[in-house]
Amino acid sequence: MTKNKIQRVIAIVLVIASVVLAVLGAVNLPKRDAQEGKDIIEALRIRTLLNATGDGVVESYVAIAKKEAQAAAKAAGGGMKAIRAAVAKAEEETRAKYENTTTDYSTLDTAALEDAVAAYAAQLEPYYAVTVAAEEAYIAEHLAEAEAKAEAERQAKIDAGQEVGEEEKVEVDMSGFVATEEMTALLAKADEAFNGVGEALKGIYPVLDDSALATLKDTISSVVFQRGDSFTVQYDRYVAAGSGSAVANGTSAFLIRYADDLLYGALALVVAAAVVLFYELLCKKLGIPRIIIGLFFILLCFMSLWYDLDLSTLLSNSLVRMGMNSIMVLAMVPGIQCGISLNLGLPIGLVAGLIGGLVTIELGVPGAWGFLLAIVVGVIIAAVAGWLYAQLLNRLKGEEMSVTTYVGFSIVSLMCIAWLVLPFTSLKLRWPMGTGLRNTIGLDSTNFKHILDDFLAFDIGSFTVPTGLMLFMLLCCFIVWLFTRSKTGVAMQAVGNNPRFAEATGINVDKMRVIGTVLSTVLGAVGILVYSQSYGFMQLYTAPRQMGFIAASAILIGGASTSRCKISHVLIGTFLFQGVLTLGMPVANVLVPGSTISETLRILISNGIILYALTKSGGDSRA
Amino acid sequence: MRKIDWRSILRNNAVTVMFVALCVLCLAYSGQSLSFVMYELFGRLSRNAFIVLALIIPIVAGMGINFAITIGAMAAQIAVLWVIEWGISGLPGMALAALMTVPLAAFFGFLIGKLLNKMKGQEMIGGLILGYFANGLYQLLFLFIFGNLIPLNAPGLVIKGSTGVANTIDLSTTRGFKYALDGLWQVSFADAALVMLVALLIALALRLVVKKNAVIRVSCSVLLTFAACLVSAIAPQLGLTLPMAIVSGVILLMFTIMLGGADFKLQKPLIYLGVLAVCTAIVRIPAVASLFAMVKVPMATFMVVGVLCLFNTALLKTRIGQQFRAVGQNRTVANASGINVDKVRVIAIMISTVLAGWGQLIFVQNMGSFQTYGAHEQVGLYAGAAILVGGASIRKATNGQALLGCILFHLLFIVAPNAGKNLFGDAAIGEYFRVFISYGVIALALVMHAWSGVQKKKKADEALKS
Repeated sequence: MTKNKIQRVIAIVLVIASVVLAVLGAVNLPKRDAQEGKDIIEALRIRTLLNATGDGVVESYVAIAKKEAQAAAKAAGGGMKAIRAAVAKAEEETRAKYENTTTDYSTLDTAALEDAVAAYAAQLEPYYAVTVAAEEAYIAEHLAEAEAKAEAERQAKIDAGQEVGEEEKVEVDMSGFVATEEMTALLAKADEAFNGVGEALKGIYPVLDDSALATLKDTISSVVFQRGDSFTVQYDRYVAAGSGSAVANGTSAFLIRYADDLLYGALALVVAAAVVLFYELLCKKLGIPRIIIGLFFILLCFMSLWYDLDLSTLLSNSLVRMGMNSIMVLAMVPGIQCGISLNLGLPIGLVAGLIGGLVTIELGVPGAWGFLLAIVVGVIIAAVAGWLYAQLLNRLKGEEMSVTTYVGFSIVSLMCIAWLVLPFTSLKLRWPMGTGLRNTIGLDSTNFKHILDDFLAFDIGSFTVPTGLMLFMLLCCFIVWLFTRSKTGVAMQAVGNNPRFAEATGINVDKMRVIGTVLSTVLGAVGILVYSQSYGFMQLYTAPRQMGFIAASAILIGGASTSRCKISHVLIGTFLFQGVLTLGMPVANVLVPGSTISETLRILISNGIILYALTKSGGDSRA
Repeated sequence: MRKIDWRSILRNNAVTVMFVALCVLCLAYSGQSLSFVMYELFGRLSRNAFIVLALIIPIVAGMGINFAITIGAMAAQIAVLWVIEWGISGLPGMALAALMTVPLAAFFGFLIGKLLNKMKGQEMIGGLILGYFANGLYQLLFLFIFGNLIPLNAPGLVIKGSTGVANTIDLSTTRGFKYALDGLWQVSFADAALVMLVALLIALALRLVVKKNAVIRVSCSVLLTFAACLVSAIAPQLGLTLPMAIVSGVILLMFTIMLGGADFKLQKPLIYLGVLAVCTAIVRIPAVASLFAMVKVPMATFMVVGVLCLFNTALLKTRIGQQFRAVGQNRTVANASGINVDKVRVIAIMISTVLAGWGQLIFVQNMGSFQTYGAHEQVGLYAGAAILVGGASIRKATNGQALLGCILFHLLFIVAPNAGKNLFGDAAIGEYFRVFISYGVIALALVMHAWSGVQKKKKADEALKS
């Protein structure tokens, strides 16, 4: 068989498997809301209930036995010691007797209980629905108040000179929440229904008395129905409680539970089949690293679906992270096009942008104007620094990469000293005690926090579209694209492609390289401001050191090489890279809880792709 | 006599001269006692010199500073982890770790070399990024494989409730090998100087036995030298004051040079010997001796460093050493003359990686514990900066430059924080300053190298035109 044929066979097998999965999924998914799904849940629920109450029943037996033993010992006239020994012995014996006996559930007549529980569940469901609605209304009413309070606390912390950590979501204090009349009425009805359940349980476990039932009430109600329950949540809860054996036909229940995952699996197999079928084409068009990372991204998407993570929120987050990083990645474009290769000296621009941001906060310019001021100041500084940097690079053509890296590192550590001695006075920036600026400077609503993210942002379900951020990103990309189409831009690309040829046609090579370097540095300054407004913090000191690498790896993932790139590489690369990182963290946390594996992932991807690009950039010859 | 061109010497050693000035300045403002600085310096020298020397061979082979030595350090740390797990302590543990490092580091070095062969001309940036990449793999290994998939039983290696190997690995417990090498033979500084003197004398005598020409003259000079040494060594006991000791030492030294001078080959070692003799005398004088009062010289460690120096020198004289040089000077010419350039480069990196691993072992046995996830990260940076400070470039490096650089660089590391505190009122400034210096020195060296390359090319172009 030729390779081609094998490919086809594998693809066909995959497609068939996919169809099987899809049919299974499509058939079983609607069953969740149909009678079959309800039956499964009910069977599981009854079993879990019996298990849970069974524990309570043992306690009841123990209590009775203890009482009897105590009475008997007293009657026999023993001292305190004898009574205590007798009680302990009775407890031990009773526990041994009941705890190790497994109830034979098939002999129990649970018909009455089933009806009662169904009635109880039917009452609990509207109660929780009303409660959730009432609470949401309360939260909406008091949110502004809570935010103001949190902001005041933050400010107090800043004034006291404490480190202000990442801002958590504002929580509304629920202690003032009072149940509405509707809720009380529904709760009363539910309680009535619970009495029915109690009676039914008494029918099964005669030993249960009213007081035992009262202590079991919370357990029972949490078994029967919890807030926000759905088919899958209930199923998982009951199975985790060890009631899986209650379902008569395990396989079909399993299929119904995982019907959505079957559908996702089918989709994944189709993707796999397509990849197998068009492997050569993809390789040629995209290159192996991009295929690997692209597939990895898709795999992460499916895994987050399988693990019931909120994919749309995750994708929304990746979109935000794409937006916040994109301008820094865009900064790579002029650098590559003018022939200085990957501008790993990007921190020069980043530092300039940070100074712009600091100036804005120092002067206290609020909102959009503040952001604009930050950009203007940052761009001016970046332009000057970039020009000097370009003069240096023009003197060492051909060896830019290692030089730019270490020049960038040097600037970052030089700026570490500068952050300590720069004469900013605002307490938002400085440590109240000690010298120098804070490590991370928290932005808030009086500065330019989320100024782009929140502009015209809207929600589609749990997917938030950061309209302003996206528009700004596209605007910057468009401007750079326009520039590459201009006469200067074309000349610059010519220099990057072939400096000797460009020189021969009368292009001023040095000037073009200066333009490209300055543009790259300036975009870096804008980029870090966009990043900071989205992140909510400006990070000083050593934080900008690695950002040049992250930007460089993003554009390489997008398809650029060290000498060639397009705007589309920026968008694709940033989305893929940030998408993998955003999705990777929650998925990794499911697989290995509490690990830092997603940080490891970032290190591997980011540096791996740069290494790959370096091996492609030359040196294949033996000498 | 040949005229010494001070200007060109200054220009060619600008970095070193600048660094000496910086060290003196910081030393003056640090307010630390000299004896403490000396104590710190010897400690740092003993644990860092080896790894700096590991950089020489790749530089000679034209691959620049091998920033991928971090990977050698990782190999060593893997070996240390397992030696502690097996509970082999003391010198046997250290020896086993060194033995285990060899195949590990050689294998990694082989892979590094293969990769760097695909990016000729960009080895330094490639090595740096490869180091970062390997750090990711190292984290995978230490966080998710060791301690999870492969269980570790030694106490303290795994902390309950957290994933992977503990953040700090302690070698000072009964299972570790803290001071395994350092503790073998520790002497005071004065005695160390004497030991070195005797060692050099014996070496010279051995050389004389091998070479028989001008027997009488040479033996006379040796005898005189010996006398010089003896006088210097026991000067204080004879009740001689400092100037008298120096004068007598110098007079004897001059005789030595006059006699030995005729034999050109012997001139240099004899001068060394004489200088060393005078030094030995000086450190015996109480005022000077107090400077070194706190210093305990770990002789075994320094002997290992000395052996590495000899190894570097000797290796470059062998066939493979000559090939390193040839490849370093011009790959095309080397290839044309039948040298397998790729293979030679891989060998150079392999040697460097193994040596770096041993260097890291020496480092951790001295420190007594290390940060599992951070100890290797800055190894490449500091070693690279140190060798450049000593006057090496990314095309040329010698043992002397490596050692001198190590001394200067670490001297600055000791005094910079305090100097920063006294000058600017903040120790953090000194801390950041020394990091800045590390990066800055490398950036400067790269810029100067690239610049000289461009200048050469321009000159060649002009010559071609005219």
